[in-house]
Amino acid sequence: MLTVASLVTLSACSGSGDSGGSSSGGKPVTVEFWGAAVGLDKSVALWNKSHPDIKVKYSQIPAGSIGGYAKMQNAVKADNAPCLGQVGYDTLSNFIATGALEDISQYADSAKDKFVPWTWQMSSVGDRVFGIPVDTGPMAMYYRTDLFKKYKISPPKTWDDFAAAAQKVHSADPSAYLTTTPQDAYDLGALTWQAGGKWFGTENDRWQVTIANPQTSKVAQYWQGLLDKKLVTSDPMLDTAWFKKVQDGQLLSLVSAVWAAPLISKNLPELSGKWAVAPMPQWSAGQKAAGNRGGSATVVLKGCDHPKEATEFATWMSTDNDSVTSLIKNTGIYPAATSGQQLPAVDQPSAYFGGQNIYDVFKTAAANTSTGWVWGPTMSQVQSDMKDGLKKAGAGQGTIPKTVTSVQDSTVAAMKSQGLSVGK
Amino acid sequence: MATRTPGDALAHPIAGSAAKRVPGRGHTRSAVLFLAPFGLLFTAMLLAPIGYAVYQSFFRTRRSGLGLGPSTTVFAGFDNYVTALHDSRFMSSFLRVFTLGIVQVPVMLGLALLLALLLDSRGAVFKKFFRQIYFLPYALPGVIAAIMWSFLYAPSVSPFTAALRHIGLEVNFLSDDLVLASIGNMMTWAWTGFNMLIIYSALQAIPGELTEAAVMDGCSGWRVAWHVKIPAVRPALILTTVFSIIGTAQLFNEPAVLSQVAPTVSPTYTPILATQQSADINNYNYAATQSVILALLTFVLSFGFLKFTQRKGTFA
Repeated sequence: MLTVASLVTLSACSGSGDSGGSSSGGKPVTVEFWGAAVGLDKSVALWNKSHPDIKVKYSQIPAGSIGGYAKMQNAVKADNAPCLGQVGYDTLSNFIATGALEDISQYADSAKDKFVPWTWQMSSVGDRVFGIPVDTGPMAMYYRTDLFKKYKISPPKTWDDFAAAAQKVHSADPSAYLTTTPQDAYDLGALTWQAGGKWFGTENDRWQVTIANPQTSKVAQYWQGLLDKKLVTSDPMLDTAWFKKVQDGQLLSLVSAVWAAPLISKNLPELSGKWAVAPMPQWSAGQKAAGNRGGSATVVLKGCDHPKEATEFATWMSTDNDSVTSLIKNTGIYPAATSGQQLPAVDQPSAYFGGQNIYDVFKTAAANTSTGWVWGPTMSQVQSDMKDGLKKAGAGQGTIPKTVTSVQDSTVAAMKSQGLSVGK
Repeated sequence: MATRTPGDALAHPIAGSAAKRVPGRGHTRSAVLFLAPFGLLFTAMLLAPIGYAVYQSFFRTRRSGLGLGPSTTVFAGFDNYVTALHDSRFMSSFLRVFTLGIVQVPVMLGLALLLALLLDSRGAVFKKFFRQIYFLPYALPGVIAAIMWSFLYAPSVSPFTAALRHIGLEVNFLSDDLVLASIGNMMTWAWTGFNMLIIYSALQAIPGELTEAAVMDGCSGWRVAWHVKIPAVRPALILTTVFSIIGTAQLFNEPAVLSQVAPTVSPTYTPILATQQSADINNYNYAATQSVILALLTFVLSFGFLKFTQRKGTFA
């Protein structure tokens, strides 16, 4: 609560220096930055040490889906937004559609080749650039090696194997479950991404909405099947109750992105050495497809007085080796910068994961994530409706496939009500 | 300047009338001077935001194509209101809160009245201690209390669930059937003490002669309470009811925190949550519309209750 109060006072005085640029007035320019990820402040501190003429002032805000995005949007609307914000790729279209972002093409174009191409695509529309990529979220399966041994299962290669393993675990111990169901749009989106489906597309200046596509339906039916047999739980992932269940040996694995690794190791230090990471289970044997969950860009919010300096910092934060190393260590990111993916920090064994170099798995996953996935312009609404439906399905009200079809309809309706063109 | 404070005049109406003066022009000027700070703040902090919300509710944002160009704001008339009245999720949130209020408010105020009467009774011991204990939950910040309750309710960590399991009962406080009752319990826990204090203060103000006379006439403690004390605190009961109606209509903290752990608490569980969600998905005009509808309904309910109680003979 205290931090919230101090944030409010920080954001209340966001009027930055009025000198035209970093070099002109001789006075250092101050650029404000709002982020939700833990550890961004460390990169800011590194920058401030080496760049006296552009001072970056960092404020920690809540994660996007629990109010952080609303906070930024409100600040933009009230015309007192910071210069920089951290926004997930999934919500960028949302921010662009509400006119909350500055087009930074003229300052950012030169940095294009420093990033993995699909992350750059995710941060731009056509040739207009709206953000500087920070990280990606390649997916894999985290699992408890000791418990897998106990129940005599090996990391499942296919989703069929996964279902069989879920059956085996739960039969052996009625209080133990292999994993939890997808909780929200980003879980289901990542699983759809792996299965080769797409939720959105743009053609002839119209949006295509295909949330209820065959691949998503396949994923939805698969998880509903496990839910009907009561072989999976529907606990929210990575929260207090989830950590407790993992601690008690009641949950054995988690299919999630690379950034879950530090969350697990920080919250469950006593389980050090009992974890490993395996590639995601596949829909057919021999495939290597992976999904991507999350990843974000640093954006310049509407009304920023110093877009050039702001972009300069954002590019540095995502590409400077010291900064990226710090982000890998403290934030648990997997870098979007090609140079970052070569750093020793993402290529070393981890004691927590029993000496495994987990980044090998994530590197392969990143390489096997299909490009061309597009997020829609009303993701806040999609996420809200999907989360609601999936939570209820988990509690036995309605089903996951029904949620998918109803979110398809509510999304088309929401887009049309704003006057967006939705085509077939 | 008179050295008299306004409070004196209220406490001694006779003295007040003796000191009555004919207001002159100088008085009007000083009255305006004294009222100006209030007037300014009242306008800036209350009237202007209300006006702005009403104004916003008559507009709509339009985009075109892919929505990546600038958007325009167009006059929408009552369209937003029509949408809200047809919005089944928004409407059912009202019904939910109404159902909760009908049960929870009387239970809570009954409990508050009972506790106040017990504290006020002759036989009560450790009055100060109990008064503070009852009032304690109100002193806790609402969100902190809600987070605490969410741990007490969440099936995997709840001590209650664990204790009940020991005696063979499987109770999930966050299940669809129980979650509303669980929220009601949180509200009762937080607000009973506050309401008790208001009623208790009113009990303190009853002249001793009244209760003594009743006792002399042979009334038992319970009958004194029923025939003398409760009628005397009627205004306090009406006041606390109006407060509770307004508070319940704006129910936010408890469901907002529980939504993190309870699958059935949706983002549109209560009218304020639904409004907040509209703002979250950048639909500010619709959020303004929902706020106006909620404010109107709250006004109708609380004002209607006041009128209803005043109509019933004795004025409160």
